[in-house]
Amino acid sequence: MSLIIEVNKLCKCYKNIEAIKSVSLSIKPGEIYGLIGPDGSGKSSLMKVIAGVLSYKSGQLNVFGQRVDSEASAEIIKAKIGFMPQGLGLNLYPELSIDENINFFADLRDVPLAEREERKALLMTMMQLTDFRHRAMKNLSGGMKQKLGLICTLIHKPELVILDEPTTGVDPVSRRDFWQILSYMVRHEKMTALVSTSYMDEAERFHTLSLFYQGKILAQGEPDQILDSIQGWVALVHSQALFVCVQALSTQFTQVNIFGKAIRVVAYDISREDFEHQLKSILARCPKSHYQIESIDLEDAFIGLLRPKNKDQTVKPALDATKPNSIFDTNTLMIEAQNLTRQFGTFTAVDQVSFSVQSGQIFGLLGANGAGKSTVIKMLTGLLKPSKGKGQVSGADLNSSGQKIKENIGYMSQSFSLYADLTVVENLKLYGQIYAVPKKKLAKRIQWALQMGTLEQETHTLVGSLPMGLRQRLALGCALLHEPKVLFLDEPTSGIDPIGRQQFWTILVTLAKQSGVAILITTHYMSEAEHCDQLALMQAGKVIAQGSPTNLRQQVSDALGDVISMKVNQPYAALELLKKAHYDKAFLFGKRVHLFSSQVAQTQKKVLALLHQQAIEVLDVQHLPPTLEDVFVHFLESNKIQPTANLKPKESSSL
Amino acid sequence: MKWSRIKTISTKEWLEIWRDKLYLAMAFLIPVIMMVVLGFGMSMDVEKIPFVAIDYDKTEQSRDYLHNFSDSRYFDYQGMAANEKQAESMMDQNKIRFILIIPPGFQEKLQAGKKVQSQSLIDGLFTYQSKVVKGYVLAINANYNQQLLQNWFAKKQGMKPSDISAMLSPVSLETRYLYNEQMSSLWSTGSGMIMLVMLMAPALLTALGVVREKESGSIFNIYASTVTRTEFILGKLLPYIAISFLNLLVLTWMALVLFGVPFKGDPVLYLVASVLFVSCATGIGLFVSILVKTQASAALITLLGTMIPGMMFSGLLMPVSSMDTPAKIEAHLLPGMYELNIVWGSFLKGQGWSDLWGNMAILALYSMVLWGLAIWKFKKRVAS
Amino acid sequence: MRLWWLRVFALTQKELLQFSRDMILVVAVAWFFIGEVYVAGSGVKMELINAPVVIMDHDRSEASRDWASQLKAPYYKVLGYVNSQQEAYDLLDKGEVIAIFDIPADFEKRLLLGQKTSIQLELDASNIIIGNLANSYSSLMNAEFNQKWMLKTMKIVDAETIQAPMVELRQKIYYNPEGKATWFMPISEMMTVITLLALFLPAAMIVREKERGTIEQLTVAPLTPFQILFPKILAVEIIILLGVAVSVLGVVGAVFQVPFRGSLILFFFVTMVYIYAVSGLGLFIASVSRNLGQALMVSFMVLMPMMLLSGAWTPKEAMPEFQQYLVVLSPLSYYIDMGYSIILKGATIQLIWWPLLQLFALGSILFWLGLIQFNRQLK
Repeated sequence: MSLIIEVNKLCKCYKNIEAIKSVSLSIKPGEIYGLIGPDGSGKSSLMKVIAGVLSYKSGQLNVFGQRVDSEASAEIIKAKIGFMPQGLGLNLYPELSIDENINFFADLRDVPLAEREERKALLMTMMQLTDFRHRAMKNLSGGMKQKLGLICTLIHKPELVILDEPTTGVDPVSRRDFWQILSYMVRHEKMTALVSTSYMDEAERFHTLSLFYQGKILAQGEPDQILDSIQGWVALVHSQALFVCVQALSTQFTQVNIFGKAIRVVAYDISREDFEHQLKSILARCPKSHYQIESIDLEDAFIGLLRPKNKDQTVKPALDATKPNSIFDTNTLMIEAQNLTRQFGTFTAVDQVSFSVQSGQIFGLLGANGAGKSTVIKMLTGLLKPSKGKGQVSGADLNSSGQKIKENIGYMSQSFSLYADLTVVENLKLYGQIYAVPKKKLAKRIQWALQMGTLEQETHTLVGSLPMGLRQRLALGCALLHEPKVLFLDEPTSGIDPIGRQQFWTILVTLAKQSGVAILITTHYMSEAEHCDQLALMQAGKVIAQGSPTNLRQQVSDALGDVISMKVNQPYAALELLKKAHYDKAFLFGKRVHLFSSQVAQTQKKVLALLHQQAIEVLDVQHLPPTLEDVFVHFLESNKIQPTANLKPKESSSL
Repeated sequence: MKWSRIKTISTKEWLEIWRDKLYLAMAFLIPVIMMVVLGFGMSMDVEKIPFVAIDYDKTEQSRDYLHNFSDSRYFDYQGMAANEKQAESMMDQNKIRFILIIPPGFQEKLQAGKKVQSQSLIDGLFTYQSKVVKGYVLAINANYNQQLLQNWFAKKQGMKPSDISAMLSPVSLETRYLYNEQMSSLWSTGSGMIMLVMLMAPALLTALGVVREKESGSIFNIYASTVTRTEFILGKLLPYIAISFLNLLVLTWMALVLFGVPFKGDPVLYLVASVLFVSCATGIGLFVSILVKTQASAALITLLGTMIPGMMFSGLLMPVSSMDTPAKIEAHLLPGMYELNIVWGSFLKGQGWSDLWGNMAILALYSMVLWGLAIWKFKKRVAS
Repeated sequence: MRLWWLRVFALTQKELLQFSRDMILVVAVAWFFIGEVYVAGSGVKMELINAPVVIMDHDRSEASRDWASQLKAPYYKVLGYVNSQQEAYDLLDKGEVIAIFDIPADFEKRLLLGQKTSIQLELDASNIIIGNLANSYSSLMNAEFNQKWMLKTMKIVDAETIQAPMVELRQKIYYNPEGKATWFMPISEMMTVITLLALFLPAAMIVREKERGTIEQLTVAPLTPFQILFPKILAVEIIILLGVAVSVLGVVGAVFQVPFRGSLILFFFVTMVYIYAVSGLGLFIASVSRNLGQALMVSFMVLMPMMLLSGAWTPKEAMPEFQQYLVVLSPLSYYIDMGYSIILKGATIQLIWWPLLQLFALGSILFWLGLIQFNRQLK
């Protein structure tokens, strides 16, 4: 079997910046190959190079056996490739309807009319877009844009599809749909797929993957192989005296993080016995604590791989950066929403949303783009008046004192709202002055913010040239200069590498637990939701589920059972077999098949027998609790709300 | 080259323009607004100049002299001022442009056969207008003197008026205005503006159109497909050429109807030349779009790059023949001059193929070079 | 209140810093105030300079040569003599000459006989400026010739001694006695540049914040919409006034030697009021544009009618009547009036207080409307 793609010691430079530093990889026919890594790690550049739309500096690239090293040679392979660039729907034409967009791509690719209509009908049915075919692309929801993008990429039956971050910013249901469709297409059309993502938890969807970081490949292989290559363990510690325990654990372990009510400890290059031994000796000092040990996940592996290079970067300071701000009363309601409703014309963007956040609590608001999260935040920050309902933020009423709210809160948005053409200190000073921090105090607060974000070395660097992780911490610093008691964070971690995210969360947890700041955060990363004390899932303007992560997971477990995860040698055949046997909730994850069952042991026996009959070899079986993604999908589906289009009027989406 | 792919790209482009209302408005409104603004705004007619008189004589003769000015269509008499101070303050406030002062003893001296001095004070703010006013004032005064002298010599020496006239002004200069018989400002600037507007608007539209695709990232659809560069550029530009050609027809209609410019030449030639010029202007926009990455810089460069040369070095304001050598060379290097030759040739001069083929050939060559350059420079596999 | 101003100053400082870091914009603004004004002043001269002409002399006499000898630099450049009408018209059609002087065969004979004769001037009037000036200068030249000839026939050496009634008109041109085009155009261009920038810069500052999402952070901060906008206007005032200073003192003053007759401070003050007036329109532009490119285009679309209604190129009295009524709507018309008056006429505040007040009122209306529009968009 010849290789579809061969990359050998490839380097790519933009002016003086090295984007790809000697990368090698090879992709076999029929594979779903993943590139995982944070923003700016070189994934996009590599994908463009392979698609033949970007030149490179040195190294070799063969696609379909064709050496690609010039514009002319790149043209030869383009007919067989479908390429979807990064950015949800950015390559589509907003003014054109679904139908017109597809037609354009088909005609561009010389697909004959009859074939075009046939294939269009097939793909639209598969993606459930047929009913919306005459709607302009700009009025579609994120999930629909993603599906349309996929149709446009697949319309000419490419042998290789290159999809750059197709799942970023899409709700979990659409993401799950997407993976199902992709694996179906790969199997039925003998396609090969190269897909990138910044979500570590999607790693299991790939047959083979490469972990990218700063233009280099940290590790490559099958997901299980990568995990096996790193020896490491995770301990989830529960204790009554959380902080004493954290302090004690930190003396021995570098990675100690608070996850809701638990402490997560990760250790590398150590045997399970030694780890357990060390843990026990420390926990002896902590009253009423217990623990459980698991193997690490890919995100831990990623951090583990980076660890030797980033020794000095490991975050410690956060815990002592903010001195415990006396004792705060955990019963103070800092954010309260009661039946908040907001209408734009006839469209209800937020429908009777109620929740409350106490001081010291981290509250996660989850939902797809357009689910109404931003509108809720806009109402809570005093930007929008609610149409109905009431609420308060640190004692100020939403309906009457918008300006007062603004003075009491810190806010950090998705885009980090920093001025890229100002330096670090200039940004801090600006926000300090806007929030009217007295001059003398401001100098101190700026020092504090620099320290918190480990930005002392960068005080006079232009923000535009800072890496994403530092920018994010600077933005947080800006939002905290005036010591707000309430903090709003709107998708603060998208595109940040795992280490950066972990550092960020350490700071957040410290703020909440030690200084009693009430934090409301929205995020796309399901794995991050685990950090939150409370979660609310939003869909189409409504809150469809609320509770702590454990609680929500328990609800799903009660309803559906746990997951049986089987690694098999013929995943497609296995899936087909299971579907035929009416295991409707069977999904494919790379070479694994996942199955929900309330009676795990019984089902497992049946299924294994079934597979054995068909000579499908089961290499490995695991039992997993439902993930938060499962939780999300479950609640969405049980609410039976169609992921309808984004009908919001224009005014609301601007600004 | 596949026609179907060109058609696909053109159709998509057209749909996008059609549905983006702001862009559509820009595409069709900018040329019309510019035409109206520049056509009417650059009026070089000097008429109805407001003026006041200061008559220190207040006699029949002085009133007679004043009438020569106030009856002229060039002047608009605003009444009498008491003294210079009052009149000058009016001029300071831009209420009048010219003051006529008639001294005391005006009638007395003239009737005694003596010379008398009157004075005119002209506002020099608008250089060109003040020069023309100066000329008008002198001409009216000279006419008046001619009458005075004729009457005087007829009375004193009994000469025949015609002999006196022959003695006083033996040579008369008879001016025939060619091409623009009525000396209408709208005829010349009004039609000339077609050149300026059609140089700027298509270039701008095209540059923005192509850069927009780069900025949004949808250009990668083209990069990643099997469409050739030529197909893409042709397909992309056809709608813009069509829009621009339509605009050109609208502007031509405006020149004919709104400004009342006559059309003396060959319509077929004019249309053919128009297509050439439009493709030339589009080519400029295309070329700019290949060099820049953002819409802002595309707009800025195209505006600066077409407006100044179009106005200064085309012959619109100053004939190429009276430019100094560097300016002349620049004028010959840019397409504006050739188009202006064609526009004025067709509208005002009534020239045909034999006179204008050279200009057309240069325009054709120009657009071929620009397009060729653009296609050559357009890369489907980029460096960043 | 002190706090209010502190916030405004902090934001103004930020705008200026950002502007100074955007090299492309700085270069563009510098080019507008220096290069653009210079090109306008030196490029187009609405004057007759070296206009190419040919002479069709059918007489070839001393008198005819005498007459033709008056056609000289700087106004005319005689390319030579042609013999046939066809040849002359060809030159005209091709645009190689702008005029033909046709001297009849019996020119000298008739003059000597004391009879009237005439010279035909065939003038290319497709360029009306040139047409007008050429006609005017030729007439003056012909008058001079007539006078010389008259004195010669009457054998009078000194014209002063003629005893006849005549009105001698003494002419004086105010403000720009030598009629230098380099005085008018650069000032006019500078005012156009001020207008374009006062429209575009505030719009650009807002659109850029919209594009990058930083506006979100400002709106959740304890700032009123006016407090967000006002610093941008302040920054634009400072940037433009700096540009004006360079332009007025450097280009207009030093290069073109235009005298500044009024008070510089008054001119800056008027300019400040004008920028405020125009920036209201800038807010509108910001609210309809999604990116900088569009903002620039829309600014241009707004600039055009403002120019039409301003008298930037031609005096108001030369406009069609309907236009003269609409002039009150263009802030530029007030500004141009006051600006010229201050620079060239030395006008003082007593003379211009009324239009200044009108401009302020008009500006306040525009600004208020712009603020409402901006507010509506924020929601």
